Amino acid sequence: MSEPQLKSLDPSPDPGRWLDEHGDYLFKYAVFRLRDDNAAEDAVQETFLAALKAYRQFEGRGSERTWLVGILKHKVVDHFRRLGREAPIGEEVDEGPEHREFFERTDQWQGHWNAARAPSEWHASPAELLERDDFWKVFSDCLSPLPQRTASAFTMREVDGLKSEEICEILSIKTNNLWVMLHRARLHLRNCLEMNWFKRER
Amino acid sequence: MNLYDNLKHRVRYYLLRTLPTCRQTVEKISQSMERRLTLQERFKIKLHLWICAWCQWYLEHLQLIRTTARAKGDEAIDLAPGVALSDEARERIRRKLTNLN
Repeated sequence: MSEPQLKSLDPSPDPGRWLDEHGDYLFKYAVFRLRDDNAAEDAVQETFLAALKAYRQFEGRGSERTWLVGILKHKVVDHFRRLGREAPIGEEVDEGPEHREFFERTDQWQGHWNAARAPSEWHASPAELLERDDFWKVFSDCLSPLPQRTASAFTMREVDGLKSEEICEILSIKTNNLWVMLHRARLHLRNCLEMNWFKRER
Repeated sequence: MNLYDNLKHRVRYYLLRTLPTCRQTVEKISQSMERRLTLQERFKIKLHLWICAWCQWYLEHLQLIRTTARAKGDEAIDLAPGVALSDEARERIRRKLTNLN
């Protein structure tokens, strides 16, 4: 019976190798959430710097990549937190456009879906969408026109599954602002996906 | 139009006139993903969805977006296909890291 292969405990960290082995992976993780190459590069760099400092606590326990992703998660949240802080105090939170146009009608059914802008059936399964790289490209492009904080709130909520209270604290907004932001982001994203993916693909 | 269809049409019409509009309903649908709605709110949405395929699809789409996006977020394989650090960024980070050592 052979011994399980244990990684030799390297006494000194090797950031060059980290960069080669995990750099692209971490960058993908960050870009998917921040949708900004420069911010994602900074987050990756800060992650490695923090990892160097904290190397003693890691001591080869568990997977190196999981450990680095754990640090990166915090860096991503730090970035969102800065967005929250940089917003001018006392100014209205930019919740994005209201999208009344979806419900504009000239007949007696004002306030109901405008038939031309109303949802249609999608015929899609999560499993199939997860495999389609081009779908995630469209997804990411659809988030781009949203105000930055709205897109960040959406990402934290729907991609990372953070609780509403956590997101409000990170972005320094009130629960009601968050709900309005998420609602508007959903209206926009759902429509954008339908126009640019579900109606094109079939 | 037979009797059943006629009755259905009348009920539908009555409900659409009395219930919250689609615009109000989709806002509640979004909130239902954030908090537990009151019994009354849930009842109104249920009735609205019963007669409105558009809002029913809207709800299904939001749920699909959440399910897939969260699955993608958890997935450890490829979050942004084809994306990689640029050579320039890679070198900049490498210099930063080695200068410290």
